[in-house]
Amino acid sequence: MKESSSIRSLNRQFIKKEVSVREATEGYYKKIKKEDEAIGAFLSLMEEQALLEADRVDKKIKDGENIPLLAGIPVALKDNILVKGFSATAASRSLERYVASYDATVVEKLKEQHVVLVGKTNLDEFAMGGSTENSGFHITKNPYDIERVPGGSSGGSAAAVASGFVQVALGSDTGGSIRQPAAFCGIVGLKPTYGSVSRFGLIAMASSLDQIGPLTQTVEDAAIVFDAIKGEDPMDSTSVSLGGINTVSTNVERVKKLRIGIPKEYFVDGMEKEVTDEITRTIEKFKKAGFSVREVSLPHTKYALSCYYIVMPAEVSANLARFDGIRYARLPAVSAEAEKAGHSALSEIYFRQRGGGFGSEVKRRVILGTFVLSSGYYDAYYAKAQKVRRLIADDFKKAFEEVDVLLAPTTPTRAFKIGEKTNDPISMYLSDIFTMSVNLAGIPALSLPVKKYPLDGGELPVGFQLIGKHFHESDVLGLGMWYEKN
Amino acid sequence: MLSKKDINHLTNLARIGMDDKNKESEEKTLGDLGRILEYFDELKEVDTESVRPMEGGTSLEDVYRNDEVEKKFNTEASVGQFPESESGFLKIPPVFSDE
Repeated sequence: MKESSSIRSLNRQFIKKEVSVREATEGYYKKIKKEDEAIGAFLSLMEEQALLEADRVDKKIKDGENIPLLAGIPVALKDNILVKGFSATAASRSLERYVASYDATVVEKLKEQHVVLVGKTNLDEFAMGGSTENSGFHITKNPYDIERVPGGSSGGSAAAVASGFVQVALGSDTGGSIRQPAAFCGIVGLKPTYGSVSRFGLIAMASSLDQIGPLTQTVEDAAIVFDAIKGEDPMDSTSVSLGGINTVSTNVERVKKLRIGIPKEYFVDGMEKEVTDEITRTIEKFKKAGFSVREVSLPHTKYALSCYYIVMPAEVSANLARFDGIRYARLPAVSAEAEKAGHSALSEIYFRQRGGGFGSEVKRRVILGTFVLSSGYYDAYYAKAQKVRRLIADDFKKAFEEVDVLLAPTTPTRAFKIGEKTNDPISMYLSDIFTMSVNLAGIPALSLPVKKYPLDGGELPVGFQLIGKHFHESDVLGLGMWYEKN
Repeated sequence: MLSKKDINHLTNLARIGMDDKNKESEEKTLGDLGRILEYFDELKEVDTESVRPMEGGTSLEDVYRNDEVEKKFNTEASVGQFPESESGFLKIPPVFSDE
């Protein structure tokens, strides 16, 4: 396996029988077993099943059948996405013993393409966090510097792709959880439009914001995976049909006509100099290549953090009510303790399961969400935030009257040190300051590294994002592909 | 500002048991939530008088489907979502007490 591979190059090697899918799969597992102890990207592996699938694809190739582009490609899944018969913990101790009894729609679609599912990756518990330090199991480290975080919450997925443990990983993005770790780990991450990809079988965090998307080595890989997982699903009523839009075959002539806007509110005090410099250089590149680039304004950007941290916990407090110890899984100690309590066993189970099974960030958000929805505070917090959310979404709508795509940094700093922000929730929340507005507005955004960063190059990656109009993934992917090639 | 009594009320509403280990961190929770709520104060300066609230992530309304029976999952898969079951039935502790 070459260091910088792509879905297409792997596919070509399989078809030309330069390497069998089994050999490739075994190679990936060998690498994981040797190197993941230091990184901690995975929570569980699915080796037996993976090798069976690899053999099935090899047989198809041997029989001269046409195989899909994604057949045999090694894929990791964030551990909040369900695969039938395998554990799905969402990195919460409370779900340690839960085994999924059905496939998520995205998993069903990937299985139809005969991908090789390699394993489940680490995350901040229930996807709540920006560093993967909130995992109930272990911390994941940044492959560029193991003293630093990989970002989060899809930190395991980002670290797995950056380390070359898999070609592709899926993550989920509620306020930046695909794009921020992608930026910290020097890879590509796509947060699709709200409604582009079914969330059925994703352990829900904040349902009006959650989206599943790919983390990959290249923009083209992200487009290929997005094409495979997108589309309407009767099991997720917010999903919509995208018709036959093919995001992979992007016309260069069309891409060159895209007008780029630079939101001035995304260049703030306290940004790391390296980030500002790299983003400025990137903007210059687009200008030099003849793109129309102009400054635009998203005046309500500064309120996104407050708005997000009201709307999201409110939905979290409702969504996490289902993890009550009666459904899904129960902590081993809870049953015994509840037995002793006799007649009040049911409520004992609720309190002990949630008190003992949730980590402190999860509890903080459930309590905060319960507060902003409680009588007497609802109007001041939740209702107010919903109105501010409209203003934030309208900012984008207005900007998109003048330009087609927005270009901005993905994060204000590069990957920070492990432990640096764990004691101060607000400083941790601020690491998502440039990503959460996109989720509030429901639009698509692609994060990609400003340049290629070799793993042993001693440099920490900087990422930028391309933000598009609703359901215009082809714009951000097309522009991203152009950038990558030039 | 939130008090310890408020936190107790909220954890009760959210069914989060606060054992001794959790109690230790109560002070920190209180401090953190206080600072977060203080941060939210900035929203007061935004004029939202005539703004229509955005109630979700989509502009779709009333998504209908035909009322047709579809066998997507078997009973096993549904029962499999529960930690305890007995011959295809869900097993839960008594809901009502004798008192």
